[in-house]
Amino acid sequence: MAENDSLNIYEKEAEEMTALKKITAENKFERTSGGFINLTFEGVTYERVKVVRLFPFTDANKFISIRQNNDKAKEIGIIEDLDELNKETKEMLEEQLRLNYFTPVIEKIYNIKDEYGYAYFHVKTDKGECKFAINMASNAVTKLSDSRLIIADLDENRFEIRDVNALTQKERRKLDLFL
Amino acid sequence: MILYYSIPHKLEEIIPFEENERIYYAVPFDIDDKGNWIKDSYLVVTTKKIHVYDGEKITNTIEINRCSKAKAEAKVGGGILVVTTEGEDTVVVHYSAKHLSRYAYIARGINILISGRFEEVESSEYEKICPKCGRAIPGTKNCPKCSKEGGFIKDFLKMAKPYKKDFFYVFFLMVMAAVTTLLNPEIQKHLINDVLKGNGGMKQALVLILIMFSLSVGIVIVNILKSNASTRLGAKISADLRYALFKKYQELPLAFINDRRPGELLNRITSDTTYVREFMEDVFCNLFAVLFIFIWDVLFMMILNIKLALLTFIFVPIVVVMILAFRRTVSRIFHLQWRKLDDVSSDLQDVISGMRVVKTYGREAAESARFKALSDDFSETQRRNETFWAIFNPIIAFFMGMGSVIVVYFGGLDVFSDKMSAGELYQFITYTLLLFQYINWMSWLPRELSQLTSSLERINDILQQDVNAKDEKDLTDIDIKGEIKFDHATFGYKSYQPVLEDINAVIKPGEMIGIVGASGTGKSTLINLLMGLYEIDDGNLLIDGIDIRNINRKSYHSQLGVVLQETFLFSGTIIDNIRFSKPEATYEEIVRAAKTANAHDFICNTPDGYNTYVGEKGYSLSGGERQRIAIARAILTNPKFLILDEATASLDTESEYMIQKALERLTEGKTTFAIAHRLSTLKKANRIMVIDGHNIAEIGTHENLLENKGIYYNLYKAQIG
Repeated sequence: MAENDSLNIYEKEAEEMTALKKITAENKFERTSGGFINLTFEGVTYERVKVVRLFPFTDANKFISIRQNNDKAKEIGIIEDLDELNKETKEMLEEQLRLNYFTPVIEKIYNIKDEYGYAYFHVKTDKGECKFAINMASNAVTKLSDSRLIIADLDENRFEIRDVNALTQKERRKLDLFL
Repeated sequence: MILYYSIPHKLEEIIPFEENERIYYAVPFDIDDKGNWIKDSYLVVTTKKIHVYDGEKITNTIEINRCSKAKAEAKVGGGILVVTTEGEDTVVVHYSAKHLSRYAYIARGINILISGRFEEVESSEYEKICPKCGRAIPGTKNCPKCSKEGGFIKDFLKMAKPYKKDFFYVFFLMVMAAVTTLLNPEIQKHLINDVLKGNGGMKQALVLILIMFSLSVGIVIVNILKSNASTRLGAKISADLRYALFKKYQELPLAFINDRRPGELLNRITSDTTYVREFMEDVFCNLFAVLFIFIWDVLFMMILNIKLALLTFIFVPIVVVMILAFRRTVSRIFHLQWRKLDDVSSDLQDVISGMRVVKTYGREAAESARFKALSDDFSETQRRNETFWAIFNPIIAFFMGMGSVIVVYFGGLDVFSDKMSAGELYQFITYTLLLFQYINWMSWLPRELSQLTSSLERINDILQQDVNAKDEKDLTDIDIKGEIKFDHATFGYKSYQPVLEDINAVIKPGEMIGIVGASGTGKSTLINLLMGLYEIDDGNLLIDGIDIRNINRKSYHSQLGVVLQETFLFSGTIIDNIRFSKPEATYEEIVRAAKTANAHDFICNTPDGYNTYVGEKGYSLSGGERQRIAIARAILTNPKFLILDEATASLDTESEYMIQKALERLTEGKTTFAIAHRLSTLKKANRIMVIDGHNIAEIGTHENLLENKGIYYNLYKAQIG
């Protein structure tokens, strides 16, 4: 009997992994005093759940995976669309996403100076003004599409340019080197 | 890496210190509650408290004795510091990726304080951005721009010291080149003034022409000698540096090598030393000659005609600005072209290596279209750039020539009004041309020098690393009997992240120990320690009762046999690879070893037998064949102590059987550690060691462990049923 038990544990686990559970507005999220959130789902309360974007670049607010907070990080369920949740829950989840994802979006390029293999950016982002440096020899700039860029700086911070064509001609010229 | 920044006075004043309390760590954090950038905000850890300062006031204070744990959690593009107080996790600060590893150390420091100890954590990692000037640091400890000790000159002299003689020879030739170059216009002046305009005869003309001719020949000879000497010098220096680096790499502890990207280490040997050579050949060999000529050139011009000289000098800044602007644009547009070419070739490589996938999904047309777009883009950029070059290069040349037009005009007026002789004018024009030619050359200098500085910095960074090698005298040679003892052994690749904690075990001589456990639990780490590749941080590892740190590495490794999952063969022949462990082995020994390893038969079936070339990393052989060669290599030394890391994983059943047999022969009666995922391969093991959670979770015979119904039991049931 005991032999079957342990076999069943693995089988059950493998089976569970295939299930796609949806989390909706009815499921209860709660703030913890430490700045995290708990989720009660199917009668179980999960503490300090992890909030993970499945399509961080193409659809940041769709398909959010909520996972357990342990080494295995098993999935509790998926939120299909953040915008369909009520305002309070949405705010709570957005707070968590802010903690988990930090990708400033570049809105304006003040200056790019290249000096001996490194390029120094001075930009305005949606998170405020900042300066960073990239290594020109490495693949610091990734093209997500023809007009969308991800720039990784020396510290592996990531900056996004949503639409290169929305920049002014002058800014684009500065950026030309990396396109 | 800095863990204690100097904090603003304002903050220092408002921290409420108790008696015996002082600051341990002070580090900035750069993201606020709303997820926006924030400046001048610090996390301060004192002996008793953690303070969060937002730039104006202390917003949060946590008492360390109330905490049970601190953890720096890495997130996407940043991280958070979390402390646990009374079972509740709390976010303390949020920071960008810039401070990720810094906070890993801080968390470790807080944990030490929580445990009641007062050691300070130090970090040997380097800063990536210079905290002083904000420039990127090219992988070295100090910023090349800011390092005080007059870095570059010192480095250069240090590099040059062993080659003093060669340097003086090159230097001498440079002076000769300068003298001959400057003398020529002087003779030309005499030719014009004394012979052509004056009343010199044929004889004088011939003498002058002869001098000019020999000077021209002289310049050519001096230049040939000079380039020869400096090329030789450059090649010599870079070869010596390459060798020194290579030797150093082998001496350095693996931990140092692992901290750096392999490509970067490779580059230091190849690119950086090449750069030093190129600098010697192209720049250094002209450096002093050019400076020398330049200074005399300017002096001569002023002596000849001060008014005309000043007039010409006005042009210099204009030309310099133009040259620099032009060069900037050129390097910009050609960098762009290079990137486009890179796109084309990486797409090409992608598609060709993924050809089977492209064909099976019928995507040929789509891929072709994509390639065409990239290729067209590249060719358009190329065309534009060549046009730009063709138009602007002559224009720059024209402006550089403008200087001499002015000289001809105003100098000509002076000649007509007899303020200057025709010969002097001619001499002056020649000097003007030289002037602009050398300005062009010198405008490259800052760039070249800075590149050389970076290269030298990177090379010295390696060469100056301390290798704390033990004195040969303190090390003992060993004749391994095979008793291994772990005594509270603790180890981590990063000081703040232990992989193995408090390992205790005694292995008897001749015992075979099977090691199992999930991936990432430290099985391979345990084996790395046994191989003596890393030193344990705390506790002891004793071989036959002797601390492994006191054993002569050479004598230890000569008795150690290792077969790893991914067999590494060097490019060379089969015999080279088998012989690697024992270069003096005879043919008979090699064939015997190969037979024992079940490798002899497949070797016989290759056309070149033992002389078969195995290709780079041995890729012309199958996995099983490579593995058997590795086993033969291990057998050859007749090791006393064996380590097998998944030696039979990823092989087909038949080769697995053959190798299993070979291994059984090899391990008989020898102390053996074998890692395996497939438990069936551990049938012969005397005891099984289960590693879980940085520790030995279970150890005992197969039967014992099954009775215990622990981790091993579950694994066994899941695999064998």
